[in-house]
Amino acid sequence: MKKKVVSLLLVAAMVTSMGCGSKDSGSANADSGNANAGAGSETPATESSEAGGDAAEAPSDVEKPEEITIMVDGTVFTQENGQAEFIAKLEELTGIKINVTQPDHDAYYDVVGQTIASGEWPDVMILSSTYYSGYASEGVLWDMTEAYENSDLKARQDAYGSTSVIDGVRLDGKLYGMPATRGNGCVTYVKQAWLDACGLQAPTNYEEYLAMLEAFTTGDPDGDGTNGNTYGVSAAGFVGTEAPYINYLPEFYQDANPSFYLADDGTWKDGFTEDSMKAALTRMNEAYKAGVIDPTTLTNGTADCRNKFYDDSFGVFTYWAGTWATNLKTNLEKNDLNGELVALAPIAEVGTYLDRIPPVWCITSTCENPEGVFKYFIETMQDGGDTQFLWTYGVEGVHWSTAGETLFAGTENEKVYEEGTFHMLENKESEGTQYTKAHIDPMLALVELADDPLAVEPEAKASAELFNANCVTADLVPSTDAMTEFNGDLTTLKNTLIANVVMGEKTIEEAYAQFEAEGAQWSQSIVDSLNAQ
Amino acid sequence: MKNNKNQSAVSNNGSRSRLAAKIYKYRGFYLMFLPVFIFAVIFFYLPMLGIRFAFTDYNGIKEATFVGLKHFQKMFSMPNFWSAFTNTLVISVVKLFLTTAAAVVVSIFLNEIINIHFKKVVQTIIYLPHFMSWVVTASVFSLIMAPTAQGLVNTFLVNTGVLTSDSMIYFLGDSKWWRFTYYLINIWKETGWQTVIFMATLAGINTELYEAAAIDGAGRWGKMRYITFPALQNTILTVIILNLAKVMNLFESAFVLQNDAVLDVSNVLETYIYYQTFNSGAIPNYGYTTAVGLFKSLVGCVLVLICNNLSKKIREGRGIV
Repeated sequence: MKKKVVSLLLVAAMVTSMGCGSKDSGSANADSGNANAGAGSETPATESSEAGGDAAEAPSDVEKPEEITIMVDGTVFTQENGQAEFIAKLEELTGIKINVTQPDHDAYYDVVGQTIASGEWPDVMILSSTYYSGYASEGVLWDMTEAYENSDLKARQDAYGSTSVIDGVRLDGKLYGMPATRGNGCVTYVKQAWLDACGLQAPTNYEEYLAMLEAFTTGDPDGDGTNGNTYGVSAAGFVGTEAPYINYLPEFYQDANPSFYLADDGTWKDGFTEDSMKAALTRMNEAYKAGVIDPTTLTNGTADCRNKFYDDSFGVFTYWAGTWATNLKTNLEKNDLNGELVALAPIAEVGTYLDRIPPVWCITSTCENPEGVFKYFIETMQDGGDTQFLWTYGVEGVHWSTAGETLFAGTENEKVYEEGTFHMLENKESEGTQYTKAHIDPMLALVELADDPLAVEPEAKASAELFNANCVTADLVPSTDAMTEFNGDLTTLKNTLIANVVMGEKTIEEAYAQFEAEGAQWSQSIVDSLNAQ
Repeated sequence: MKNNKNQSAVSNNGSRSRLAAKIYKYRGFYLMFLPVFIFAVIFFYLPMLGIRFAFTDYNGIKEATFVGLKHFQKMFSMPNFWSAFTNTLVISVVKLFLTTAAAVVVSIFLNEIINIHFKKVVQTIIYLPHFMSWVVTASVFSLIMAPTAQGLVNTFLVNTGVLTSDSMIYFLGDSKWWRFTYYLINIWKETGWQTVIFMATLAGINTELYEAAAIDGAGRWGKMRYITFPALQNTILTVIILNLAKVMNLFESAFVLQNDAVLDVSNVLETYIYYQTFNSGAIPNYGYTTAVGLFKSLVGCVLVLICNNLSKKIREGRGIV
């Protein structure tokens, strides 16, 4: 009987706690958070947490939430990858009880849509740019502009040169979400061995770029003794499936934009209707006809491109900056090929690479204590100290370690670490590989992390630095009713016309005549709706 | 008049009590049926309440606003919708007839194999593609059909002198070739599996018929023509009719094999709904996509009724619903 009563009490306590949400707050809990913050194992950042600005410990009249519910995608540790330990440590540092909802990464936005439709909104959720602007315009998200302007976080981000990234996610000047990192984008990698084989230098303008592609296509850059059995460049489609759409072939698009963008005069325009787009299509058509673009680009997926790159089928690959530089290198070396890659600075006609709009952490408008959630959860994520370290590298002993040990012993990937050397541990979901980061990519951080061990390979660091020094943030296109109504059909039409022109099935004149007849009206409606906002 | 009413009331009461008595008598069966009934209500009928969104503007956030037939008007005025509708019907029906015909031919060939072990091995091999996911299938065929030296088909055609290396065919990237390639891949993937039902029918043919035909001087072709084909006729019709009712349900195979250059011949209703939902770069209006889905279901429903009638005519009163 006693057992039954105890069980019932435990169940009741659990149900009550599940139903609480974010809601109650109080100084007592804030104290408990403070007390806990210093406990636990020390991270390399602990010593300098003062410099990092420890928001969790700062005296404030903003109440700390006792409990919050967050909805996250697979960019936060999954349960198989030590989520429980990560959240436990996060709760210890923030002093907030955190309930996590983590749908399958691939189905994340389906579940987000269903959750919003159900009316049972989490306090915090991660959103991509499309959903961010859409939900913001529908009033789902809390306006964090004021909280941000008055926060220490703003000072830290400004000091680290991240102001433009934050400005990039403002909607009509207002901030409804906080990125944890830069969006990242693609840089163009060229195989050094192929440049050497053709006696070329890294190109700096389109003419040199095209000459390089021609040499890679008609010559014998892979040294197999046969001329003309390789291609210059390949990509996963002629146009991307998400903004910025020109990511994979920037040298051909140059200043063109197939979608909507904010012009210098402050008005929205459809880049597809402009001469720059026609010029880009001409360049791509000529290059495709000349055979310097992989003939299967239309049907390639990104995995196909990577595999062809590793097989030495082509020599120029525009792909993600940062960690991918290392992945490309190691996979080439696995195939007994030279892994040295040149990360190209943008050629003169491109000017700058495009930084993707990063996913943002948003607070929903039903959250009962949004100021508290911002201050004690969102802001601490980038405190430059212990909490940021946790979001960047995870938990000691689970995701990283400084112990002397050998990883992958007896395999070709064997790695020996001396005592005191910071290193990431084996990924529990991907045997034989190490974790590279937690949620925040250290190379894309918006706030300086004190005593950052920056456990990244030099080529990854170099490509990230090159990208960060040569990028501008893509425009965040607001969501409008006209866009909802017409942009699905309009995007389908544009993509079809781009493919038809590049592959020579339609001339530019024919393609634009079809666009005028079928899509111009939709395009104008969307432009008008954007400018009317 | 009053008497009539009383009689009717008595009769109604009588039939009700008879029904109640019957239900009570067969209560065991009804009890067993109850979970199925509850399952059907929850998973098949309650979701149909979502049909109402076809007549509203609804983005999953604000309350749905009634807009009458607005979405249907828009749908019928969109060239992409009609193109998707036509593609769905053409691709599905042609695919159905081709794969069925291929399955019949392969079944007959299999039936002619005398060595039982060899027959089983062949059957197993041709069943296997059915179990391969469409994503993997698309990936493999993209490579096989590629217009490059790595593409098996194009290389073969070049080596045999059918094509030159400058005129390789982009089977999956050319509107003129896409459907042909799609049908070919479907035949490769589904024929083996479809032979199961035909092989079962063939196994049921009395062997004495073949012996009698042989005595009468029939050769292999004669036996096929006068025994095998007639025996398969009913099964072929049944398979076609049953599958004809499902022709509107086409997504995965078309989605993984299509690309920007061939949407005019490959975009089907379900991929059209997908692009409307995920290509807009904005929060989708579920009202419109529900309207398209509802239209698709209505056409599917009409096809089922037509097939049911056909089935009753051909199969001596046996319908499919």
